[in-house]
Amino acid sequence: MTNAMRTSAGTVTVERYQGVRADGRFRRLWNANAPGYLFLLPWLIGFFGLTLGPALISLYLSFTDFDMLRAPGWVGAANYVRIATADPKFASAMSVTLTYVVLSVPFKLTFALLVALALNRGLRGLPIYRAIFYLPSLLGGSVAIAVLWRQLFASDGLVNAALSHFGIVGPSWISHPSYSIYTLVALSVWQFGSPMIIFLAGLRQIPQDMYEAASLDGASKLRQFYKITLPLLTPVIFFNAVVQTIDAFKAFTPAFIISGGTGGPINSTLFYTLYLYQEAFGNFRMGYASALAWILVVIIAIFTTFSFLTSRYWVHYDD
Amino acid sequence: MSFRVSRRNFMAGGATLLSLSALGNSAFAQENRLRLIWWGSQPRADRTNKVSDLFKAQHSGVSITGEFLGWADYWPRLATQVAGRNAPDVIQMDYRYIVEYARRGALAPLESYMPSKLQLDDFDPAQIEGGKVDGHFYGVSLGANSAATVINTVAFKEAGIDVPTNKTTWEEFGKIGAEITKAGKRKGYFGFADGSGGEPLFENYLRQRGKALYTADSKIAFTAEDASEWFDMWAKFREAGACVTPDIQALYKDTIDTSPLTVGKAACDYAHSNQFVGYQAIVKDKLMLSNYMRIKPDSKGGHYRKPSMFFSVSAQSKVIDQAVDYVNFFVKNPDAAKILDVERGIPESKAMREVVAGTLDETGKVPLEYVSGLGDLAGPLPPPPPTGAGEGQVVLRTISEQVAFGQLKPADAGKQLVDEITRILARG
Repeated sequence: MTNAMRTSAGTVTVERYQGVRADGRFRRLWNANAPGYLFLLPWLIGFFGLTLGPALISLYLSFTDFDMLRAPGWVGAANYVRIATADPKFASAMSVTLTYVVLSVPFKLTFALLVALALNRGLRGLPIYRAIFYLPSLLGGSVAIAVLWRQLFASDGLVNAALSHFGIVGPSWISHPSYSIYTLVALSVWQFGSPMIIFLAGLRQIPQDMYEAASLDGASKLRQFYKITLPLLTPVIFFNAVVQTIDAFKAFTPAFIISGGTGGPINSTLFYTLYLYQEAFGNFRMGYASALAWILVVIIAIFTTFSFLTSRYWVHYDD
Repeated sequence: MSFRVSRRNFMAGGATLLSLSALGNSAFAQENRLRLIWWGSQPRADRTNKVSDLFKAQHSGVSITGEFLGWADYWPRLATQVAGRNAPDVIQMDYRYIVEYARRGALAPLESYMPSKLQLDDFDPAQIEGGKVDGHFYGVSLGANSAATVINTVAFKEAGIDVPTNKTTWEEFGKIGAEITKAGKRKGYFGFADGSGGEPLFENYLRQRGKALYTADSKIAFTAEDASEWFDMWAKFREAGACVTPDIQALYKDTIDTSPLTVGKAACDYAHSNQFVGYQAIVKDKLMLSNYMRIKPDSKGGHYRKPSMFFSVSAQSKVIDQAVDYVNFFVKNPDAAKILDVERGIPESKAMREVVAGTLDETGKVPLEYVSGLGDLAGPLPPPPPTGAGEGQVVLRTISEQVAFGQLKPADAGKQLVDEITRILARG
């Protein structure tokens, strides 16, 4: 409008005319969609204010030496260079995390599938079992469970008490660098509830008549499992695998509680996110920690892309 | 489908929002509202809140809100608050972190308030010096303490062994420890905790050798040889069964309730004297305090009177005057001193020390007598640890664990410790 006013009177009319038209369309759109946008508003505020905004700020901070107390100073790619070339703790945190991902995801999914298969056989009181098996997942991220785990796997904990009945003297599982990571894997497998529920839903989707036809043809139960259940379940397996892998990369609470925030003994439970946390809040290197966070984003993206690319070779959508 | 908010509804909603924001304002923008933050346990919080109530009673129109957290959660919270320009006015500060916060401009220099508002004339001058960074005064010490060995006297009596004295050497201590373990009066019980990863212990050992952890200009002040001999000494203790096994020690998380002494695994552990009250509150057996062992019978002392914690004032505070008044009240008011006891260490003010001494119970007297009875074992206060000292402490613990679990030889461990700390200090 201001531009138009500086020029001839004719332009103003044209501009005004167009303005009214655009305005009308906008109003119509607004009237039609306002409720939608209003209902979306909390999510939009959350997404831009609490997710996208902070993410972009952290991307900026990853190129600075921000120490949380002074204003950030631009350092270019120095943080990334240091991660790549001169940070042995990055390497050790990465290897702990990868070990955790590689062990916990397959074990957890297998276990979840086995329990789902057992529950799918039409048990009485199924909802109760479902709830009971799901419980650990609900409690899973909590501090209480991690503390409980510490009690179970300490040298005088329940696990060793059970082993002693067989004459085995167990080590202190959680405080020995050779075993501590496996107790965390076990904790993760125990929290199989959420993939289990999804598997259960997937199993319910498989048409019963396929099994009937197969048994008429004389296929054994095992053969039915490999030829019917597993192929038809691949979309669900794929979904669970991707979600669980991302979750495993982001694991933090159990290691934080069990090692008291140190990642010890000897960095054996120094998960990537725990190291990131230590750098940010323990050593005042928020800039460096932001760079670590973005490296994690890239790694998770690579893993997820890889899963999607390979999925077309083994995931069957029965359309 | 159309969606309209009627004018009346809109107005009503707006009015509600307005009145809500007005409420928020009155709660947040109060002029004499003082915020405190400290780390510690519930008993410490009770004492602190009582002092705040006392202060409020004598200063009308002041409101005080305090929050407290455990040590490990405290520092992330404080850093986040300072970064978010939302720092509390009065901040409990530690000797380890005061340089980090002061150099980054988060704390208000307080020397201009002395002696008008801060009357610290009867403080030990060395302790005032301890609150200074780069010539400015940032922290008022809330009490003095010293590193100490906590000893379970009952376990010693059961084993028929005399408790260590202030002349006991590390070598003798090793023998004592092995005897307690061998006596086997308690199941899975050892002579003492594995202190090889404990920074105060290592520092004490270095000071007895005439070295230190860090120099005043933020350099490393010990050699690979010093560290190797340290790790070697502990390797021998471990071999002799004098101290707990590494997997027991690894469960210790720098808290009283996870100490090998507290959980019934060892007869001795290493702590700071003001923690004695906390230890005795959990452990049923009668405890005592002793100094750290000497490296030779005639070696000079490695101890010092450490300002256990400070009160600092945030540079962001809008009520600095009020905050300084509060801090002065905290360390100089006799009634406040009686409430605070020696829970944060021995009061620095001579007058308050006398007030407290008259009211202490038997447990409270132990740290007081210990700190004042150090004699020739106490030396000068080292300079505040440099930026990165926190990481150095973690490295010491990690490397000590590597030696304990047999992944590293003591000789290599010493070299690695020096290398890593040098690298950390170079990064700043």
